[in-house]
Amino acid sequence: MAVGKSQSLFKEKPIKILLAKPGIDGHDRGMFVLAKAFRDAGMDVLYAGLLPTPEEVIDTAVSEDVDVIALSLLNGAHLTVFKKISDLLKKRKIDDIALVGGGTIPDSDKPKLEKMGISGNYGPGTPLSTIIDHVTKRASEARLRKLGGR
Amino acid sequence: MNTDAIVKGIRGGDIPSVSRAISIVEDRSQISVSSEIMKKIYDRTGNIHIIGVTGPPGVGKSSMIGKLASEIALRGRKTSIIAVDASSPFTGGTLLGNRVRMQESINRNSIYMRSLASRGFKGGLSSAALSTIRILDAAGFDSVIVETVGSGQADIDIMKIAHTIIVLHAPGLGDILQSIKAGIMEIGDIFVVNKIDREGAFLAIKDIEDSLSMLPGGPWKRKVIGVNSLSGENIDALLDEIERHRSLGKENRGDGEAMQEMSIYIEDELRRIILERSAPKGDLNREMKRMMAKGIDPFNGALKLVTSLVGSEI
Ligand code: B12
Ligand SMILES: Nc1nc2c(ncn2[C@@H]2O[C@H](COP(=O)(O)OP(=O)(O)O)[C@@H](O)[C@H]2O)c(=O)[nH]1
Ligand SMILES: [Mg+2]
Repeated sequence: MAVGKSQSLFKEKPIKILLAKPGIDGHDRGMFVLAKAFRDAGMDVLYAGLLPTPEEVIDTAVSEDVDVIALSLLNGAHLTVFKKISDLLKKRKIDDIALVGGGTIPDSDKPKLEKMGISGNYGPGTPLSTIIDHVTKRASEARLRKLGGR
Repeated sequence: MNTDAIVKGIRGGDIPSVSRAISIVEDRSQISVSSEIMKKIYDRTGNIHIIGVTGPPGVGKSSMIGKLASEIALRGRKTSIIAVDASSPFTGGTLLGNRVRMQESINRNSIYMRSLASRGFKGGLSSAALSTIRILDAAGFDSVIVETVGSGQADIDIMKIAHTIIVLHAPGLGDILQSIKAGIMEIGDIFVVNKIDREGAFLAIKDIEDSLSMLPGGPWKRKVIGVNSLSGENIDALLDEIERHRSLGKENRGDGEAMQEMSIYIEDELRRIILERSAPKGDLNREMKRMMAKGIDPFNGALKLVTSLVGSEI
């Protein structure tokens, strides 16, 4: 996606992103770092609160009509939990909300997550600019689908 | 875009359709789609009860709204919530933090809640909030509770169209006299002292009651209700009072109300045009600085700028 194009996509309505930690994971520092970084990049940022179930994450994403759900887990349960969310999106036939992941995710798990449609999967030490660029790219795809259809 | 499907969805109360429609009215680049949607739902609007909630930051508006919405749901009514969060004036980004405070209530009772960003200098919130309310209206919601940021043009606009206005206070959050001076007391229909679990709550209630007795009263007797928005204590009494106030008001939107709405849209649009037309010349701020550098007084500086923007004498 060319930079100019994605900028005009979000000129009137910024990227809207939902941060979620859908599991027993009290490592919330990363959430706050990301929330602030996304806001400073001009995005509208939502946080799903403590221990949301996959259903609650999707319900919130739909009600708020976000472009991206950012899933974060540092507790090692990402394969099962992220999959639940991805399956639920498919079950509800939602194809215009992008899933991006992150946390402590071993490299060997990343292809599996990619297959579920969950991209990024960045861990500790990733430059924030890399994360923001990636989110912007996925948000652009989602926003184009929103504009195209329904 | 064909709007028939989305309009049908709204009329049927379908949440994904309602959500998407709100995104469309928030997005000025989709104004022609918005215009079609608003036209097609008009005949279904005018029934929703609009409850405005205002008060200083941290007083407990979001928490109170969560509990109130639950109580409404418990009584078998379909309610919804809109909450405005302030955008960063520097980056334009927004932390939509109101939602987290009411998330539990929303989840438990399947209440529809939508966050809106204030957008600051860029404006557009009044139009977006107004259109959002009418979409919820057309979707068959019986009421909508609107939380505002507590200042700015959009807040005033939202309070203009609310049927019942609730003003929140809490002990330890400053002088009640301040809000009287700020004119907040006059607009309230119902006064709530939140955090009655805290010290000083009783005094705060008494203070507001005294202040109210000094203001000229109408046929509606304004009450002060103490609540605890963490436990939900006394929220039922607050809802009783809201329903009493609602029953006194008119049920359907009259011409006056529609004209009020139209004038809000007009003002929003005019502000927008001024900002847009000033954009090619840099922004309005830079133009103003230029006027000041020339030693032009603010009154005449404004006249000159607006004249150059609209392209004719004013
Ligand atoms: C600080 C810390 C804690 C603190 C947490 C404080 C808090 N409120 O956050 C405390 C002491 C409470 C703690 C407790 C525990 N911890 Co701990 N903790 C850490 C530590 C050292 C740093 C985490 C951190 O805050 N990093 C700073 C933030 C800013 O970075 P971040 O969260 O990683 O997020 C960044 C990136 O990962 C990425 N990112 C994260 N999410 C997402 C999402 C998306 C979509 C994207 C794009 C990017 C992204 O971007 C973020 C910003 O740069 C890590 C080790 C490590 N180096 O990661 C262990 C670590 C995460 N903890 C670990 C463990 C085991 C625990 C405990 C179970 C320990 C115990 N036995 O008691 C408990 C569990 C607590 C709980 N309830 O969940 C393990 C997890 C192992 C695993 N995955 O299997 C780790 C990896 C340590 C280790 N090597 O063993 N912990
Ligand atoms: N003790 C007490 N705290 C409350 C009550 N209602 C809200 N709070 C707390 O007050 C803080 C601000 O609440 P919030 O709803 O976000 O206020 P808002 O900024 O007006 O929307 C939060 O920490 C709440 O937990 C209450 O009735 N009692
Ligand atoms: Mg709030």
